[in-house]
Amino acid sequence: MTETATAPTPPTRYTGSRVPRVEDGRLLTGHGTFVDDIQRPGMLHACFVRSPFARALINEIDASAALALPGVHAVFTAADLNPDVHEQWYSSYGPKVPDTPRPPLASGEVRFVGDPVALVVAENRYIAEDAVELVEVDYEPLTAVADYRDAQTSGILVHPKYPNNVAGGLAGPPPQVVEAAFASAAHIADETFYQQAYAPVPMETRGMVVEWSADTDELTIWAATQTPHEVRAFGARLLGLEPERVRVLMRDTGGGFGQKVVPMREDMCVMLAARKVPAALKWIEDRRENLMAAGQARHEHGHARIAFAADGTILAAGIEHTQDIGAYPTPWPVGAAAAVGLLFPGPYKVPLASWSTTSLFSNTAGRHAYRGPWQFESVARELLLDIAARDMGLDPVELRRRNMISRDELPYPNPAGMPPYDHSSPLETFELALKMLDYDAFRAEQAAARAAGRYLGVGTSTYIEPTATGQEYYACEGAVLRVAPDGRMTVIVNGGSSGNSLETTVIQLTADALGVPFDNVDTIQGDTAVTPFGSGTAGSRSGSATAGAVGEAAAALRAKLAELASPRLGVPPEDIEVADGRAQVRGSGQSSGQSSGQSLTYADLAGPDGVEASATYTAKAPMLWSNATHVCTCEVDVVTGKVTLLRYIVGEDVGPMINPNIVEGQIAGGTVQGIGGALLEHMVYDEDGNPLASTFVDYLLPTTTEVPHIEYGHMETPAPGPGGHKGAGEGGAIGAPPAVINAVADALSPFGVKITNLPASPAALVALLTEAGH
Amino acid sequence: MKPARFEYHRPGSVDEAAALLAELGDEAKVLAGGQSLVPMLSLRLAYFDHLIDVSRLDGLRGLTVDGASLRLGAGMTEAAVGADVGVARAVPLLARATPLIGHFQIRNRGTLGGSIAHADPAAEYPAVALALDAELEAFSASAGRRVIPAAEFFTGLWSTALEPDELLVGVRFPVWTGRCGFAVEEFARRAGDFAIAGVVVALELNGDDRVARAAIGMLGLGSTPLRAPAAEAAAVGQRAGELDGAELGRLAMSGLEDIPADLQGSADYRVRVGAELVARAWAAASAEAAGSDGVGVTAASAGAIDG
Ligand SMILES: Cc1cc2nc3c(=O)[nH]c(=O)nc-3n(C[C@H](O)[C@H](O)[C@H](O)COP(=O)(O)OP(=O)(O)OC[C@H]3O[C@@H](n4cnc5c(N)ncnc54)[C@H](O)[C@@H]3O)c2cc1C
Repeated sequence: MTETATAPTPPTRYTGSRVPRVEDGRLLTGHGTFVDDIQRPGMLHACFVRSPFARALINEIDASAALALPGVHAVFTAADLNPDVHEQWYSSYGPKVPDTPRPPLASGEVRFVGDPVALVVAENRYIAEDAVELVEVDYEPLTAVADYRDAQTSGILVHPKYPNNVAGGLAGPPPQVVEAAFASAAHIADETFYQQAYAPVPMETRGMVVEWSADTDELTIWAATQTPHEVRAFGARLLGLEPERVRVLMRDTGGGFGQKVVPMREDMCVMLAARKVPAALKWIEDRRENLMAAGQARHEHGHARIAFAADGTILAAGIEHTQDIGAYPTPWPVGAAAAVGLLFPGPYKVPLASWSTTSLFSNTAGRHAYRGPWQFESVARELLLDIAARDMGLDPVELRRRNMISRDELPYPNPAGMPPYDHSSPLETFELALKMLDYDAFRAEQAAARAAGRYLGVGTSTYIEPTATGQEYYACEGAVLRVAPDGRMTVIVNGGSSGNSLETTVIQLTADALGVPFDNVDTIQGDTAVTPFGSGTAGSRSGSATAGAVGEAAAALRAKLAELASPRLGVPPEDIEVADGRAQVRGSGQSSGQSSGQSLTYADLAGPDGVEASATYTAKAPMLWSNATHVCTCEVDVVTGKVTLLRYIVGEDVGPMINPNIVEGQIAGGTVQGIGGALLEHMVYDEDGNPLASTFVDYLLPTTTEVPHIEYGHMETPAPGPGGHKGAGEGGAIGAPPAVINAVADALSPFGVKITNLPASPAALVALLTEAGH
Repeated sequence: MKPARFEYHRPGSVDEAAALLAELGDEAKVLAGGQSLVPMLSLRLAYFDHLIDVSRLDGLRGLTVDGASLRLGAGMTEAAVGADVGVARAVPLLARATPLIGHFQIRNRGTLGGSIAHADPAAEYPAVALALDAELEAFSASAGRRVIPAAEFFTGLWSTALEPDELLVGVRFPVWTGRCGFAVEEFARRAGDFAIAGVVVALELNGDDRVARAAIGMLGLGSTPLRAPAAEAAAVGQRAGELDGAELGRLAMSGLEDIPADLQGSADYRVRVGAELVARAWAAASAEAAGSDGVGVTAASAGAIDG
C-alpha cells in the first residue's frame, strides 16, 4: 500500500523501485569482507584482561607469567598506554562539551565487570587468551553502585569528581508551565515507567586491525565501523598524527545500530598499542565481551503525566526522565537525553509540556547510542495513553484520534522546545495501519476469544522523529562522480554501511541523476584515502545526505560535460542538455536523429583520463520529520505468561522511498530489535554488579520463531530535502516496544493488569497476574 | 572464546576409546557432538588436557529392536533419532521430544548419549529415559559392560552414575504396547531454548478406560530430571477421563526440592508452569490413549534403521 501525498517527484528510473541490492551477491554467498577477514604479514592478536569486579582498587598488576608464555609479545597496562593519549574527543560534539571520563585502560580503579585492565598481544588469539589467564591482578573489591536508581543515595561514587553520581542534566519548560492545566484537568494519567537495559547486539562484534608503519609515520586501520572518516579523525587526534597519515578501510560491517558510530575505549587501546608492536595488531571482540563491555542502552525510567479535558483532549504533558549511563558512556550522554523530553509530546496536539532529564553513573557497562536513542519518549507516552484510555473508559484508538495531528494541520508547534512538526502524516499512517488490521474485526475476534477463555490483545504506537539532522557535523556529505574513458560511472562516498545498503542507494541515485543504466555504475566506499568526507551511518541521515551529495556532484558533472561538449556541438554550454547518458543540444530531442553533430555520449566526452566532479552537500533544514504507526496483535497464555505475536503492521512515512526493499529492511530490523526489547532482551546485573546475561544462553534475542510476518503500509509525504526523502533507519526500534507492550496490556485488561516495567517477560506477566488475583 | 590447549584423540573403536579413557583418567573427556562440551571449553568453564572423540565410532550407532525394547546406540545424533520412523512408532516420546531440543543445527551434531551423559536437568532425553525406566549401557576397559537403570543414573546436577573411565554405549527404552497415549509439553522463552519446565507423560488404559500404568517425567524442575510418583500413583486405577489434571499437576509439584530459580523465573513461577504442563500433557496423552484402537505399537512393527 503506497500513497503519495502531494505532487510526486519527477519520474525516475531507479529511485523508488525495488532494485535488488548490489551487496547481496557477496553477502548471501558468504563472501563479504569483515574486519576479521583481514590478514596482514606477521599480524599479532590482542585480547583484554577485564575486571571481574564491578568496583575495585587495582593494587598491582603482575604480567611476568604471561610474558614468559611462548608466543606472547607484550602486556600493556594503563601506565603504558594512557599517557600516549594526545586528544580524545568526538567530532559530533567537539572538544568543548563537558564530556565524561574515558581512559583507554582502567587506571587505579575498575568501575564495571568487563572494564579493560590490560591488553595482551600474542601470536594468535588462543595464546592471547592463555596469557590473559596468567596476568595476575591484585584487586581490592569495593561496594559498587550496581543499580543507577541507587546512585544518588548510595554514598558511593563511581567517579570521584561527580557528586551523587550525576553526570549532568537538562531541562525544558519547568513544571510550573503545566501546573494550571493539571489542576484544571478532568482526568490525569500519571505513571512511572521503567525500561530495562538492552543493547544493539550486532551480528558482527566490534573489531579493528591497526598497522603502524614507523618508517613513514603512517597508520592504517581496518575497522568495523559506521563511519570510516570519524575513525580517521578520532585516531589522528588520539595519536597526535596528521589525519592525512591515517587511512581507514572497511568493506562490510555486520551491524552497528549506534554501537559502532564512534570508536570506544578498546578501539583506543588497539590504536595506541599498535605503535608499540612490530606488526599489524588485530582485535576481534568475542560475544561475551560484546555483551559485557561493549555497552548498554535504554536503561532509564521516567515519571510521565498527561492532563486531559473531559472529552479526552490533551491539555498538557510532562516527563521527568532519569537514565543510567554506566561507568564509561560513549559519547557524551547528557545532551542526547534531551530528545526524550523534547519528543515526549509526540505527534499529538499538546498545548503545554515540561521536561527534565538526569544522567546517572553506575558501576555497569557504559551507555552508548542505540537506534533511536530517545525512544523512551514513545515508550512512556504510548503506554501512558493506553492506560489513560482504559481509565477513562475510552478505546485507546479513539483517544488517539481525538488528539493526533493530521497532515493538513501541519506545521504544528511542539510545546517542548522542538521546531514545529512538518511534512508528515501521523493520523494518516495511524488510520492506514488500523485499516490494514481491520481494527473493528479484530475487536470482535478478541471478544469471541475472551468468551472462550483466550486472551488476545491489540496495541498501537505512533511516533514522529527528527531525521537527517542539519546539525553541523552530521549535515555534511561529500560525493565524487567519475566517468571512465569507456563511459562507466563510479560514485565515491564515505560509506559506513553496516547493513543499510549505501552501495545500492548511491548507485540508484547516480544512475538516475545521469540517466545511465544501473549496471553501468560502480561505487567506492569505506576508504578514507580515496573517499570524500561524510559523517556516516547515524541519525537516519544516509539516504537524504547521500541523495544531496550525489545530486550536487551530478549537477557539477553535468556542467563539466556540457563545457566539454560545447566546442564539439558548436553551441554554448547553457544550450546543452546532459541527460539520459548523453550531451545534446537543448531542444534537439532524442528523436531528431542521433547525428554526431548534435549528441555525444559520456564516453565521447571522457577522453583518456575520464571526467570527474565532486561536491559537498550540507543539509539546510534542521531536521526532516519521519513518522509511523506500529500496530501489533498478540495472544497471552495467562497461566505461563507466554506472549505470542499474531500480526505486526507498520504504517509509515519516510517520504518518497529510494528503494522500498531497503526501507522495509530497515523497518523490519528495527522492529525486531524493539520486539526483543519489549519481551526478551535484558542485560541484567545482580546486586553486586555482575552481569548475568553475558552469553546468548541468557541474553535472549528474538529469532524467526518469535517474530511474526511484518506488513508494511507506505505513505510518502515529501520533505524539504533532497528528493523529498526522509530518514528510515531508526524508526522501527522506536515504534515497536510500545506497540507490543500495549498489545500485551490490552490482552490482560480483563484482569486489571497495568504494565509499567519492561520487559514483559512471562515471569513478570505472571507476577502481575498473581498480584491481580489471578 | 578460545579453548585452552588440549590433545585430540580419535580412537578407531569402542575398545580403543575405553582403553584411552582408562589410561588418561581424569584429564580426559569424551567428545561426542560437542554441542555442550565445546561451548564450555570455549568459555573456559571447563579444561581438559585430552578429548576423546567418539562421534565417528560405528560401535556407538545403530538401532535394534528386541522383544519389548528399543535399543539405540549412544552415538546416534538427535536428528537421526527424530527422523527415524521406527523410533517414532516404538517410543513416540523420543520422536516428540526431539524437535524441542535446540535447533536443527544442534540436533545434527548433538547425540542421544551426549545428552544423557551430560544430564542437564532441563534436557528432554534424560526426562524421557527416566519416565520410561530406560536402561543405560556403560562400558569400560576395567569393568566391561554394565547396565544402569535410569532411576539410578541421574545423581545430581550434570552428574551421573557413569565412572570417569566409562563410556555410555547404548540406551534401551521399553516399548509400551496396548491402548497408550503419550505427550510432551514444555515451556521455553523461545523455540529451541532449554525449557523453563517440561513434562513428558506416557499412560496405558485398560479395557474399561482405567489407567493401567502411568509415567510422568519432569524437566527443569530440579537438579536432575524427575518422576512424579504421587501423581502417577493417584492416576493408576482411575478412569482417565475423570481425573482432574490440575490436581495431578499439584501432586506432581508437591515435595519438589532444588527447584531452579534464575533469570527466567523463580521457583514459584516454575511450579505454576510445571503444574499446568502436567495437566496439559495428561489431557493430551489420555485423549490419545482413549482414541487408540488398542492394537497400539508393537516392537516388531518398529523398523530398524541405522542412525
Ligand atoms: C544453543 C543450544 C541449545 C540447546 N538446547 C537444548 C535443549 O533444548 N534441550 C536439550 O536437551 N539439549 C539442548 N542442547 C544441548 C544438546 O542437546 C547437546 O548436544 C547435548 O546435550 C550433548 O550432546 P553432544 O553429543 O553434543 O555431547 P558433547 O557436548 O560432546 O558432550 C557432552 C557431555 O557428555 C559426555 N559424553 C558425550 N558422549 C558420551 C558418551 N558416549 N559416553 C560418556 N560420556 C559422553 C561428554 O564427555 C560431555 O561431558 C542445546 C545446545 C545448544 C548449543
